[in-house]
Amino acid sequence: MNDATRSADAREHAPEVDDGAAQILDQRYRPYGGARQGLAGAMCAVVGSSVRFTLGLGRPARHKFLPWLAVVVALVPAIVFVGMATVIDIDLISDQFLPDYHEYYLSIRIALFFFCGIVVPEILVADRRNGMLPLYLSTPLRMWSYLVSKAAAVALTLAVITVGPLLFLLVAYTIEGSGPGGPIDWLIVLARILVAGAAIAGTVTAASLAISSLTDRRAFAVVGVILLLLGTDLVTDALVEIAELDPRLYAFNLGDIAAALKDRIFGVGTPSSLGGRDGSPTQRIGELSTLFVVAANLAWVGAGSAVVWWRYRRIVASR
Amino acid sequence: MNDVADAETVLLSTAALTQRFGSAVALDALDIQMRPGVTGLVGANGAGKTTLLNALLGLRPPTAGSATVLGLDPRSQGAALRAKVGFAPERDVLPDEMRAVDFVRHLAQVRGLPRSEARTRASDSLWLVGLGEERTRTLGTMSTGQRQRVKLAQAVASDPQLVLLDEPTSGLDPTQRTEMLTLIGEISNEHSVSVVLSSHLLEEVERVCDHIVALDAGRLVAHGPIDELTGAGEGITLELVDIVEPAGTVDAVASALRGTGIEVERTGTTLRLGGAERDELSDRARDAVADAGARIRRLEARQRTLADLFEASAT
Repeated sequence: MNDATRSADAREHAPEVDDGAAQILDQRYRPYGGARQGLAGAMCAVVGSSVRFTLGLGRPARHKFLPWLAVVVALVPAIVFVGMATVIDIDLISDQFLPDYHEYYLSIRIALFFFCGIVVPEILVADRRNGMLPLYLSTPLRMWSYLVSKAAAVALTLAVITVGPLLFLLVAYTIEGSGPGGPIDWLIVLARILVAGAAIAGTVTAASLAISSLTDRRAFAVVGVILLLLGTDLVTDALVEIAELDPRLYAFNLGDIAAALKDRIFGVGTPSSLGGRDGSPTQRIGELSTLFVVAANLAWVGAGSAVVWWRYRRIVASR
Repeated sequence: MNDVADAETVLLSTAALTQRFGSAVALDALDIQMRPGVTGLVGANGAGKTTLLNALLGLRPPTAGSATVLGLDPRSQGAALRAKVGFAPERDVLPDEMRAVDFVRHLAQVRGLPRSEARTRASDSLWLVGLGEERTRTLGTMSTGQRQRVKLAQAVASDPQLVLLDEPTSGLDPTQRTEMLTLIGEISNEHSVSVVLSSHLLEEVERVCDHIVALDAGRLVAHGPIDELTGAGEGITLELVDIVEPAGTVDAVASALRGTGIEVERTGTTLRLGGAERDELSDRARDAVADAGARIRRLEARQRTLADLFEASAT
């Protein structure tokens, strides 16, 4: 039955006017004959909705607090540094206080872990708990397109933390006159900020979503993500630094291996360029080859994606 | 009817559609054709209703057989199909913090409508289901009946050609159930949206549906226009109920009727009569009751019900 036929049928069934009796003649609902946006439109809608959900937009105030706290924690150091550079003579503080772009990631690491641990699990868990998942799968979305949309939403919101403060620094340093030397250098720094931010967001997103897919309880997911981020850090540091085992064990340290990739992108991944005392985690990670660091990050993304895919196949099959 | 005309009027069809979960057979070689209008998918819990709806949406590939919905194959053209189909699941779980209008708008967008159109139609759909004044309330503050209406609104907001409703009256009281069924009938009749309504309540399906598909343990029990299946107009059986004593009058009436060649089946004080036209049965029953000095509490044409279909399939 096409739309024209349906419109004609609807008119045919419209209530007749009875003189003297009040009637509702237009219920406003009507056929839609316009274009439909297909799978791409569906995915964009889910990404947009999920970003808003993650940031607490359109939700009660208590849902806004944690994500925006993470954003503030990530941005405050940058604002402080720029403020210092404005108030105090830039030449007096530049060497000692102002961080280079890759160094600023140390400042946002807490915000990143906080955001991944507290906020990200909700993005998958909520849909399974509140009935949205079966509704989504009854639309043009398939399981893969749903998961890709969710991952994109998480990566985009994480990029607010991994890229946003660095862009702020770049613009502020440039205005202060301590930025990159010329347009080409400026574009190179910009590209490094974007690629490094995307790389960290991608690796951490895959791991966080993998943990979140394993449980329907948000609290369990939060604990799982925090354990993954902090636990792997403590264990690998102990194994490599104290037990002096192979530094390639840092491949299992989600936070450090993602940071190591960021360092390579900024061209500071070698032991001499990283600084730190001899035998420190920073130095030992610097011993790893760039190829190994890239492969380890890809392995985290691949393993995380595989866990999510496996888990959702089971969920859908059991519905 | 030629093939072209037949294809135009068939909303969906299945051919030997089979779904197994391990050794359990959820759908057993179903051959079904549904036509535009309201079709009731009826059966007890576990009969395979939800499994069939999932198969029609292409959410789960069948173990064997095939289906065609709105001329599309759910397996290979699932995304295109689901853009034309609205669906309301049985589960009464919705995102509590979302406003009704945001929920309906979002799903309309996911089903392919542009943002501005989705916003307008979300509001219109909520007015259509009687929640226009409540559209900005959060779902968590709504009653079960209102939430069922919101689920119906999201199913129709994208202007689907077909709406699949899985137990839409679940959790509703009798008044709300009547209102919901009336609403479903109006949406189908006034807006030419075909509806497949799953329910385990036969009375509910009889009230609103034009056609039924009855399932029992994954098997097709009955399938066709409801008037034909329930035997409306056949009129071959009369029911005499609770003939008030004196003692022996029920036997006397039964004997008298049998003497005239009428088939009589007695259950307590109820006589079920058959074997003649309805008018003749009625006349002879009245005569026999008058001759025996009995009184009639109820005399009515007996129709075959959906319950009879299930009983017949069980025996």
